[in-house]
Amino acid sequence: MPTLTIDNQSVTVPAGTNVLEAAKGLGIVIPHFCYHEALGAVGACRLCAMKFEAGPVKGIQMACMVEAKDEMVVSTVDPVAAELRAHVIEWLMMNHPHDCPVCDEGGECQLQDMTIAGGHSIRRFRGPKRTFRNQELGPFVVQEMNRCIQCYRCVRTYQDYCGGDDFGVMGSRDRIFYGRFKEGRLESPFSGNIIDVCPTGVFTDKPFRFKSRYWDLEEAPSICPHCSLGCATIPGGRYRELQRVRSGVNREVNGFFICDRGRFGYGHTNHPERPRTPLLGGREVSWDEALSALRERIAQTVATHGPQSVALLGSPRATLEANELLRRWADELGCRLQFEIHPQRDRAARTLAAGLGDKARSLEEIRNADLLILIGADPLAEGPMLALALRQAVRAGGQVAILDPRPVQLPCAAAHLPLAPEQLIPALQALASGAAAAFPRQQAIVLEGLIRQLTQSQRPVLIGGADLLGEAGMAALLAAADKLSSPERPCGVMGLLAGPNSFGGALLSPPEADADGLLDAIQQKTVKALICLEADPFSDHPDPARAQLALAQLEYLAVLDHLPTLAVRRADLLLPTTAPAEGSGCYVNNEGRLLPFAPAIAPGVPIRETGHGDHPPRSFSRETPGSQPRPAWAVLADLLNTSIDLIALRHQIEQAFPSFAGLAALPLEGEGLRVNGPGIAPATVAAVPAPASTGLRLLATETLFGSELLSALSPPLATVTPAPFVLLHPVEAETLGLSNGLQLRLTTPFGFASVALRLSEEMARGLIIAPRLRGTALENLVPGGGLLTCSLSREEAP
Amino acid sequence: MSDAPQLLFKNRRLGETTFLDGYQKTGGYQGLRKAFKEMTPAEVRETVKVAGLRGRGGAGFSTGLKWSFFPADQPGEKYLVCNGDEMEPGTWKDRELLKADPHQLVEGMIISAYALQAPVAYIFIRYAYEECSRNLEQAIAEAKAAGFLGKNILGSDYSLELHVHRSAGRYILGEETALLNGLEGKRPNPRSKPPFPAQRGLFDKPTTVNNVETIANVPHILSGGAQWYKGLALTDGGAGTKLYGLSGHLEHTPCVELPVGIPLRTLVEQVGGGVRGGRKFKACLPGGASTPFLTADQLDVAMDFDPIAAAGSRLGTGCVTVFDDTTCMVAATLNLNRFFARESCGWCTPCRDGLPMVNWLLEKIERGEGTMDDIAMLKDQQRNISGRSFCALAEGAMGPVESLLRLFMDEIEDHVKLGRCPLRTR
Repeated sequence: MPTLTIDNQSVTVPAGTNVLEAAKGLGIVIPHFCYHEALGAVGACRLCAMKFEAGPVKGIQMACMVEAKDEMVVSTVDPVAAELRAHVIEWLMMNHPHDCPVCDEGGECQLQDMTIAGGHSIRRFRGPKRTFRNQELGPFVVQEMNRCIQCYRCVRTYQDYCGGDDFGVMGSRDRIFYGRFKEGRLESPFSGNIIDVCPTGVFTDKPFRFKSRYWDLEEAPSICPHCSLGCATIPGGRYRELQRVRSGVNREVNGFFICDRGRFGYGHTNHPERPRTPLLGGREVSWDEALSALRERIAQTVATHGPQSVALLGSPRATLEANELLRRWADELGCRLQFEIHPQRDRAARTLAAGLGDKARSLEEIRNADLLILIGADPLAEGPMLALALRQAVRAGGQVAILDPRPVQLPCAAAHLPLAPEQLIPALQALASGAAAAFPRQQAIVLEGLIRQLTQSQRPVLIGGADLLGEAGMAALLAAADKLSSPERPCGVMGLLAGPNSFGGALLSPPEADADGLLDAIQQKTVKALICLEADPFSDHPDPARAQLALAQLEYLAVLDHLPTLAVRRADLLLPTTAPAEGSGCYVNNEGRLLPFAPAIAPGVPIRETGHGDHPPRSFSRETPGSQPRPAWAVLADLLNTSIDLIALRHQIEQAFPSFAGLAALPLEGEGLRVNGPGIAPATVAAVPAPASTGLRLLATETLFGSELLSALSPPLATVTPAPFVLLHPVEAETLGLSNGLQLRLTTPFGFASVALRLSEEMARGLIIAPRLRGTALENLVPGGGLLTCSLSREEAP
Repeated sequence: MSDAPQLLFKNRRLGETTFLDGYQKTGGYQGLRKAFKEMTPAEVRETVKVAGLRGRGGAGFSTGLKWSFFPADQPGEKYLVCNGDEMEPGTWKDRELLKADPHQLVEGMIISAYALQAPVAYIFIRYAYEECSRNLEQAIAEAKAAGFLGKNILGSDYSLELHVHRSAGRYILGEETALLNGLEGKRPNPRSKPPFPAQRGLFDKPTTVNNVETIANVPHILSGGAQWYKGLALTDGGAGTKLYGLSGHLEHTPCVELPVGIPLRTLVEQVGGGVRGGRKFKACLPGGASTPFLTADQLDVAMDFDPIAAAGSRLGTGCVTVFDDTTCMVAATLNLNRFFARESCGWCTPCRDGLPMVNWLLEKIERGEGTMDDIAMLKDQQRNISGRSFCALAEGAMGPVESLLRLFMDEIEDHVKLGRCPLRTR
């Protein structure tokens, strides 16, 4: 811990801290561009000059490039250093177009701030400015290269940190150009990060273009709802419209970056078909009327048919607070409670929550791990920022191995062993026992190599996905990590779950909860009334045909939701809730980390600023249009007749569950807090359905864009969502006489779809892999339900 | 001058290249035999250090000292790289050497790589030096066939792979860390130091980078001995001979080998035959485009690193460019600065954007549109670029600019006062 003196103030910083950061610790912010905490110091912009007056380094130095040492005496106000900083700004501004009035960055532009801070105010250069022709970079990012100050942050983010290879730096001298090497959209699923890191308006958010000034945005720290990782985000809205999402900072989770699904997946908040009014039998009613109708109906049903005739269904989308109130309501009624309608996902999450304990690893720990084995986990599809964490581990010398039937793509080097889905658990057992002899020779060689790597590694982590592993696989994953752990060398685990609060629901779940049992009871009409909290049992059960058949038997369906789901359309009673960016609450991410968030905007129908040439609409009403949605926890509190605020509710949760200790005091912009205690595993183990044995078997999977419910409703992502396709190994394709690119008819138990055939040599044999694509004929292929029978045939000519 | 000892140019004959037979007839590969038969790698390193050899690429750093930083005794991958990216304007000595006698470099590389215990070595050569590259490839093939290169050289347990790599052709590739990036197939931006190449160089392994002429001196040091080599210089602090290439407003512009420490005046007046057409000497760049100007009153300076530094410039590559009294020094400096601005890799701001700013100011002054404020601004630009850039490129570019401001202020001010270039007749 070196202690140094900066501007006559003493500061002690952790070893390895650079002097620029050390000064920041004293509140002295020296202008800088190329330095970024996540990207490191490269000394390119030459802006952060300080005078080193005494100590191991002397003279004018770039503070970002100098590690803080004892006895350093540094001046940031030295006239020579200040003169250099002013000159660097002058040089950077030589070619800048000064187009701030039409630049989206205006107001949150580091170049504006640093120009003022750097002391450059009068333009002396009168020569011609260099100009560039811009590129069309696709639906997410707008490029305006004339504004560029060549800090290299974009390329260091895109290439070095995110592993993209289609975008980079071209040219030399004062003609440096950052762009794509050829025509086309940015290919990296993390492309939006160059918007955040660009210190000026070279790369700006395309869907957000010309919508708002930064200072007009309502922003709040939030948590990304598009997978189970819980990345920090900062949604920003104006005129009742959620207009953009940028990355928040959580050093334990996402660091400084987020994926494009999280950044551009917010369209569900503004969705025109979003439920915004309480509806009773299709009729708009007041909240009071709706709530008393619900109370009455439930009381009546319980009175007539007993408490078992009512069931409450929570969801991985709903906050911990809402799920907890649902649990209390179920307690009060004495009725059936379920937090996830997808039986396998439910059981896998509960198994993970029950057994993870101190084997849990955060994304930060994954970035620092030296061996990462992915078993049935496809990070880009099931938790994109995990892929980026794996890349950082590889950059630091770590190794990644993938055991998966799918051709798992990662933005880093990784060894991939294609295994059939039913081989994943045996593979885990082999890793744990050190014996892979039961596998075919070629596979055994790879597994034995991994076993050797495991014995040599210092910080290994096993990563498994709930969809492919299921309950038994999650248990095997945890058991393998236990077996591989010693006190000196623990082996960590990360599980990928379905939703942002899958873990939280699992923690609250009663041991006897059983999604299939619930469906059976509905089918048998034992359960007559179902209340869904931000859940859609019609779409999210892996056997949608069975689910829909059963759900048709319901006498009463009440739904609390903010999405235009099938359940919302079928509901007898609809209670509109707020979208994540409008609500507050807490998610528990896939490592059991409590992550609170606050509302960025209030719900309401987005204002159309101008339409058809007319001026902003001037209609007046006492109520904001579309402002009826309420946070689900508040609705449930009303139903429970308790008037309670969020903090009080969190205190109650802490008291009821010691494992949530610290929840109420959690700061919004911190790193969250890992829960301090396990959930309860399912009381019974579900029978694993025998995989279909004849013919080709279909594996439904999540995919990066198009599978996840919320982001599938986002217009910017629609343009990058693939058309329906299936993956097949070339050997099978040859046997079937099919070739790459053919348009085929895929028949499954749930219908048929027209799909394009893609061949991949990196997948397991004997399988057809189909992504779930919402809004297409592949919508009803819900992953995680095991293998399906299917057939492929040539499309008949029209 | 004809009696000056010839080491590097001993086999040089106009229009001819000496290959293995001719090279061996004049003592070629004797240094290598001596090194491999009689000396340990450490002894070779020590000999080069005692000989006082200083880098001939421009910086003049002690070769022996540089080698002493290299972990020669540490096993594993490490590299010797020869910097043959001779792109300094006015500098053409390495080309002459490789055109005349390529085996010297090959022998020097083998001895040096042996001294450093590097199993792989690269000669990184300027894109335009195709003839030199072919000469080297032929020499390498001959050396391999003769057992001087390859596996178990001269029966020792030391083996060496030697490769020729043609540069993609930018001035920045002469900067040693940019060269290493270029050699790795990356964008040739300089790397930050530390870590120095001796710790993390080519492919992140320990690497030493030496100039062509530096390495070519090594066989002569071994065969002739360190003390003999040191005694070749005319200055007390100097060592060996030096290749001097002349250019500019001289009667003759040859490239010659003369002792280190020879007076600049001898080069200009005797070797160069004096300023062309009997005109007056106005200034010269003593060692390439990035060295500050010297003027007529400094002609008696000895061509060695320390004396030239004391005179306010640098020996650099030892290739002298002379300007006569018809030269506008503003225009000459502008011409030089345009080169540096064009060759900037674009990594750091002072170089990428500062040099174009200097161009703009010099152009304005040269056009007669400059003001006294512009002169003041030129000074503040120079002051803030010198020593502030990421690598030495912009630092070098400021050599001529700094000396222009120091030595020719009257001439600059005349541009402003007259509203035109004073040396232009119309």
